[in-house]
Amino acid sequence: MADDKMKGMEHSEVHYFNSYNHHGIHEEMLKDEVRTRSYMNAIVQNKHLFKDKIVLDVGCGTSILSMFAVKAGAKHVIGVDMSTIIDKAREIVAVNGMSDKITLIQGKMEEVELPFPKVDIIISEWMGYFLLYESMLDTVLYARDKYLAPNGLIFPDKATIFMAGIEDGEYKDEKIGFWDNVYGFDYSPLKHTALTEPLVDTVEIKAVVTDPTAVLTLDLYTCTTADLAFSSPFVLDCRRDDFVHALIAWFDIDFTACHKPIRFSTGPHTKYTHWKQTVFYLREVLTVQQGEQIRGVLENKPNEKNKRDLDVKISYQLQTDDPTRQAEGSCEYKMC
Amino acid sequence: MSGTAPGIEKYAASSGSSETSDILDLKDDEGWEDAEPDQEDTQFISLLGDEVFTDIEAMLNHCKEKYEFDFLEIRQRLGLDFYGNIKLVNYIRSQVHSGQKVTSNISRNDFDDEKYLKPILEDDALLFSLDELPEVMEDVQSVDKGKGVDVESGALVARVSELEEELRKMQLQFDNYRATVSETLDERWNERSPSGPSKPDGEAKEEKRDDDTHYFSSYSYNDIHETMLKDTVRTDAYRDFIYNHKSLFAGKTVLDVGCGTGILSMFCAKAGAEKVIAVDNSAIIDKARENIFSNGFADKITCLRGKVEEVTLPVDKVDIIVSEWMGYCLLYEAMLDSVIWARDKYLKPDGLMVPSHMNMWVAPVADPDYIADHIAFWRDVYGFDMKAMQAGIHEDAQVLDMPNSTLCAEPFPFLQLSLHTTTVKDLVFKRKWQAKLKQDIDALDGFIIWFDSFFMPSRDDVVPEDARAEEWAKAEKMGIAFTTGPGGKVTHWKQGVMLIDNTKAIPTSRKEGEELSGELEYAVPEDNSRALNVGLTWIFGEEKDVSQTWRMR
Repeated sequence: MADDKMKGMEHSEVHYFNSYNHHGIHEEMLKDEVRTRSYMNAIVQNKHLFKDKIVLDVGCGTSILSMFAVKAGAKHVIGVDMSTIIDKAREIVAVNGMSDKITLIQGKMEEVELPFPKVDIIISEWMGYFLLYESMLDTVLYARDKYLAPNGLIFPDKATIFMAGIEDGEYKDEKIGFWDNVYGFDYSPLKHTALTEPLVDTVEIKAVVTDPTAVLTLDLYTCTTADLAFSSPFVLDCRRDDFVHALIAWFDIDFTACHKPIRFSTGPHTKYTHWKQTVFYLREVLTVQQGEQIRGVLENKPNEKNKRDLDVKISYQLQTDDPTRQAEGSCEYKMC
Repeated sequence: MSGTAPGIEKYAASSGSSETSDILDLKDDEGWEDAEPDQEDTQFISLLGDEVFTDIEAMLNHCKEKYEFDFLEIRQRLGLDFYGNIKLVNYIRSQVHSGQKVTSNISRNDFDDEKYLKPILEDDALLFSLDELPEVMEDVQSVDKGKGVDVESGALVARVSELEEELRKMQLQFDNYRATVSETLDERWNERSPSGPSKPDGEAKEEKRDDDTHYFSSYSYNDIHETMLKDTVRTDAYRDFIYNHKSLFAGKTVLDVGCGTGILSMFCAKAGAEKVIAVDNSAIIDKARENIFSNGFADKITCLRGKVEEVTLPVDKVDIIVSEWMGYCLLYEAMLDSVIWARDKYLKPDGLMVPSHMNMWVAPVADPDYIADHIAFWRDVYGFDMKAMQAGIHEDAQVLDMPNSTLCAEPFPFLQLSLHTTTVKDLVFKRKWQAKLKQDIDALDGFIIWFDSFFMPSRDDVVPEDARAEEWAKAEKMGIAFTTGPGGKVTHWKQGVMLIDNTKAIPTSRKEGEELSGELEYAVPEDNSRALNVGLTWIFGEEKDVSQTWRMR
């Protein structure tokens, strides 16, 4: 997971973590309390589900989830990861006295051989920015189809992408307008690039102008890799008179198998996570009034040349009776 | 023949006028594909026939296939420079025009005559695009040529300057046009170049590990350039020096090594430089070209993509080299090698380096809070022992902004690099250093390293080896200076932090006034020429010396 995650980060960050701190990304993920605590609660509070079960941890990283599963009473846990972090995971598992309970395998899920033909539970922290960017979901689905016993469980088992419109004049000016005047020079060629690159950043809740709306729900028991290329219509209800500079996306994660369902959100309305939110700047500024709607379609598909990149297209139309404020358009983005 | 390249007049005429902004104005355009100016269809007329092509590549391939005439091969064989290429094209055109046969056995003597510098075809698109073709590899013949010129140089100098003047006019005209066609051509050539026809030795080269590939590609995204441009400490210093010393730049020829988005080149052009040559080996140079074009400097600034050691500059010598080459801990990423190489090859004996001096500093640090946050953290992660994760923390140098309060002694200036005289062998070194604790500490946690940059207006100016940039400005000294240390505003370089491995033994507490000394070494590891090893030894009083090495990668 670690290497995959790194690819999802801003390039300067990748450079940073690659170069100066091998463990920075793991530190960041472990210190993401919303993430780690949700997994811990989902696993450790459901001992009745884990007791004596065979568990597969897809993309185990430092093996924290595997160790949670052992704590919850699992009979045996198999952790699989492509990255060399698995060497550290082995040391960690040994020092915590769980070597006999956890088998760690380095390699691709599609290529490794598991010591069990079937598993009862799959646990995985596979989510990337915008849920799907550099995510490991396809690997999880492969593992599900090949190894999960009938009636087996998946932790988590549901993911939902949400969208909303935000007022973001100041920051848009700083990020996009910056290129209009760089030390007195016109840098507009770089402005175009900036506009096509979604920004991963934290958005304040007070910037949100519309109600959020769900645009995609994935049920991990039934979805397939084909579902990862989608085209979803959306309707955003404007909550107040304001401007809309960008649409944002985030996701919620559900562990519905739990005795008491556990859910966490990466939205602007709740605690910070390392996934932050994904900001798609519009070229134009929409002037919206309370009660009006922004209707549109969100399209997402893996890039044909490089499957790890995402091509995102957002078309939008402001539904208003005021002819002076009518606006519609479509923007293409590339997450790479 | 007019009309073969209808784009030229439009773009040439629009330089600096309001039309320039219209071409690139995105605001009123529908759709998202308009970042590049609308391209007029360029027409390349076949070297050997009447056929017309829309791109240079197709035309040259056509000649190769139909007539077995490989222009790129000939050009490579003869080791031609920019002028040589022009002559070759015009020679071929004149032969074809007069109905004579042209074969692949062309020799240099065939087109030695200066008359071939004059275009045979009016607005010959091929001539405008010559520098978009792959670089000619350095080979024996071009070295021979160099010697020949030396021998006869006296007689040739006058003629060369005449030709240069003639070509200057032509180049001015080309530059605007080139900016508009370069992006697409560059892209195409880049896609092809690894196995392209012009690089017969490409395969052999690919076998070798190239430490530079990652380096150059990691600089081609907006992010890093935004970070650098928004580093106002850095960018302001260059701007202030250049704009405050316009007389130094007026009428001069400037080389910008590693030009990035072209900002320093444009500072120089705006300060009055006659000619700026901007070199970068990253794809960002396409954006630099666009930036330079849209700001009306296309006639002043020439962008060349490639390593500075490999590109052919349109001039023999330059008056000033400006470069922002500094890396983490100053020397990580080793771009200074290229700057020194460019200085030795291109800078006039009385030429100026901008910036001119670097002072490097080391200081011991004690920072219990940082240690707790990042190192002790692994002792208990959600109830699990993850100390295994601590290992790498002490092996790699980190890049962090450390507050001044973490310094437990005054910093020590361990090395000055004077850019006018420094050589590549000065960049690996072992230097003595010392410090005296200014407070009691529970443990010595590590060391930090940073550099101060000085920009002096004359190559004779001296900067004391212990001069601190933050005091330089206050004292109203000459030139411009900035620090990347904890005493100044944070820069994107932050500081290099080397943490001591205190996990194996209980560290010793120390008292104010205790003295420590040792050696500091910079070395380049054999397995990665772009990486850097920093080694430190330290001794408290009469105790045994301790040493540790950190890697930046």
